[in-house]
Amino acid sequence: MKEFLGGRIMKKHLTLLLMAASLFVGFISTSFSVSAQEEDTQQLNFAISVDPDGLDPQRTVAASSFQVTNNIYDTLVKVTPAGEYVPGLVESWEVSEDGLTITFKLVEGISFHNEAPFNAEAVVASFDRLKDDASPRGLDYANITSYEAISEYEVEFVTEELDVELVSSFAYPWAAIVEASVGDDLKNNPVGTGAYKLQEWVPQQRLVLEAYDGAMVTAQIPVVNFVTIPDASARVLAFQSGEVDIMGISGDQVSLFEAAEGFKIVESQSNALQLMAMNLENEYLSNPLVRHAMNLAVNKDVLIESIWYGYGNKIGSHYPPILKGHVDHSEAYAYNLEEAKALLAEAGYPDGFTITMDLPSDYQAYVDAGQVIASDLAQIGITVETNIVEWAYWLEEVYTGRNYDLTVVGHTGRLDPFVLLARYDSESGENYFNYSNERVDEILRSVKQVQDEQERLDLYAEIQAILAEEVPALYIQSPVSLMIMDESLEGFEVYPLDIYEIKDVHYVN
Amino acid sequence: MAVYIIKRFLQTVLIMLIVSLITFFALKVLPGDPAVLILGTDATPDSLALLRESMGLDEPLTLQYLNWIGDALRFDLGESRYFGGDVTTLIGQRLPVTISLAILSVGISFILALIFGTIAAVYRQTWVDNLIRLLTQVFSSVPSFWLGMLGLTYLAARNGWFPVTGNFSASAGLLVNIRAILLPALIMAVGEVGILIRQVRSSMINALRSEYMTSTEVKGLKRPSAIIKYAMRSAIMTPVTLASLRFAALFGGTAVIETVFSLAGLGRLLVVSVEQRDMMLLQGIVLFITAVVVMISFVTDILYTQINKTIRIGG
Repeated sequence: MKEFLGGRIMKKHLTLLLMAASLFVGFISTSFSVSAQEEDTQQLNFAISVDPDGLDPQRTVAASSFQVTNNIYDTLVKVTPAGEYVPGLVESWEVSEDGLTITFKLVEGISFHNEAPFNAEAVVASFDRLKDDASPRGLDYANITSYEAISEYEVEFVTEELDVELVSSFAYPWAAIVEASVGDDLKNNPVGTGAYKLQEWVPQQRLVLEAYDGAMVTAQIPVVNFVTIPDASARVLAFQSGEVDIMGISGDQVSLFEAAEGFKIVESQSNALQLMAMNLENEYLSNPLVRHAMNLAVNKDVLIESIWYGYGNKIGSHYPPILKGHVDHSEAYAYNLEEAKALLAEAGYPDGFTITMDLPSDYQAYVDAGQVIASDLAQIGITVETNIVEWAYWLEEVYTGRNYDLTVVGHTGRLDPFVLLARYDSESGENYFNYSNERVDEILRSVKQVQDEQERLDLYAEIQAILAEEVPALYIQSPVSLMIMDESLEGFEVYPLDIYEIKDVHYVN
Repeated sequence: MAVYIIKRFLQTVLIMLIVSLITFFALKVLPGDPAVLILGTDATPDSLALLRESMGLDEPLTLQYLNWIGDALRFDLGESRYFGGDVTTLIGQRLPVTISLAILSVGISFILALIFGTIAAVYRQTWVDNLIRLLTQVFSSVPSFWLGMLGLTYLAARNGWFPVTGNFSASAGLLVNIRAILLPALIMAVGEVGILIRQVRSSMINALRSEYMTSTEVKGLKRPSAIIKYAMRSAIMTPVTLASLRFAALFGGTAVIETVFSLAGLGRLLVVSVEQRDMMLLQGIVLFITAVVVMISFVTDILYTQINKTIRIGG
């Protein structure tokens, strides 16, 4: 009898517990803000795999964040899909004769999303914040020693040393003009002058932007809904079912859409680079013959085909094909096993040796590429022990600590060849190859003062040739990135910076 | 009784303290400097030093711990570096998703277990029992992400019965929200149901063998109603305890399903905090989940002793 009673009480408790819990859930969920689903052409559903790490362009280095913030903020200078610099938040700019001063004439009559006026003072305040200690890009602007508002709509920037590519530094998404008085609140409540303003952000779920009436150029689609879908297969399913209108895909996913209709794929040659870096402090890798042999032993065409499904352009030096001044070195060490074996024997290792390779687990393509390279190297007798490591470990031990033999990784592209190549300076903190070449050092330390563009490009070409010859890395490819979208979407352009201009995207019927 | 409650409570506090210590110091020795992670491949030694200083990473560890635990006692778990908001707010945003998922899946698996466990017990040692036990084995060994992908492909993308992306929010209304989490909850329930069926089956077998079942027969009660009215009531105790423990476990164990179904729950928040070395967030979530699990088992224990006085306490 006692047990019967127990059962009844327990049941009652269970019911109460469930009721209380559902009430609780209901209560919490009603406290959320409301966002209604719009008509199809009024809203763009954009799938992303990871959330931005905040919406403050001056406090992040993540490409995934800039892809969103670029639509909320404007830069003084913009870059066209062809790589030309055009006015952004300015009417025009003027560079002084000595090249040390640049003066911007700002557009008038624009205000920020919070109605604060956009003027010279706002630009100065925004740059104060960009150059602040807490800003990860602050040191990139160390050469700008002073800047001031010379009238309500004119700002003057003065550099210490001549930087012929100065104008490019105002086009990067981190140089966007923010409403500085909002301070660190920008991370969650961004205030810019861009075509879109933030409507709602539920991290890891959705980030909704709505068109801003007071922008320089009005956005064509009123609402942009970034949906976070972490799983790649789930993203494909969401696109196929029509829940998503546009998203990035990888080469291997293209075949999943072959049977489907009503979409198009936009290919864009990025200016990023992917390579297998070598640590030149390693006793084997310090020998140029070994590096030559390793380059000859890897079949890059097969590698690109098998890992990236052919969506990439083979490279032979640290320079993307779409950047001005590119010289093609992709055939410098064309696949040749016999020659590779001969060189390895000449280097004193006829039987090969054993070496380690650290691969970042967050990037499946690099892990896979590393395994393919390892099997290629095995053919000439080099045994590669691969370690798959976490990104945080990779950054600390491999990249910053330079405690590795081989690794496969990618580098984001830059508008200015100097910034791209600066890591090969023997003194650079980013020179994780431990590479050192006197001529390269000499060029890197003087090239920014060379006024003549052709002369400068020749110097960059010289560095490209030296790197292609000395191969401190196995330069693999510059990837082609792919966007899939509803076929009625037009106006999506590809930029040399890793940004999206969603305001120009629209539906046609 | 009061002594027992106080004793259990002190135990609970001690567990929390130990977990907080382990969480804090174990995470500190993990490789992966948050400053390096923020700056990525653009890091320079100068920018790293500046960032470390601005993040307070140069303070002594014990001081960092005391500050953190002191704030935690006032329900302030600090600020997430990655998302930029309060950790408590972020956890609060995720709770509805995770709690609903856990309740729904435990509820579904409990009901299924009650039905199939009883059938298996009543028809024990027959082909029905064997079939149920076989299916139980199969379903509990299928990985949930695979089952999740199958569900997404056939029930969501192809048929449109369920949404592919789990948009869970108040604006959508109760029905839409239930639709958003029903499929993931079902799939989680399939993984959970095996262990519960086994439990129900063995408790039922015991109950069916007991003397009062014979007396119901003597009194002329029909067998099905005797099973439901008497046997099930007494057999339900152990499965209920087990279900409450499963509920607690699901609290921190929903990451895989949340990832497959794009649900913004506690599990995915935890995953991101590890990937991004967002220490404040990670510590906060671990502490929170520990607190919930410890509290659930504390309350269950107390309730249990109240319901069933035969459980010996103390000593």
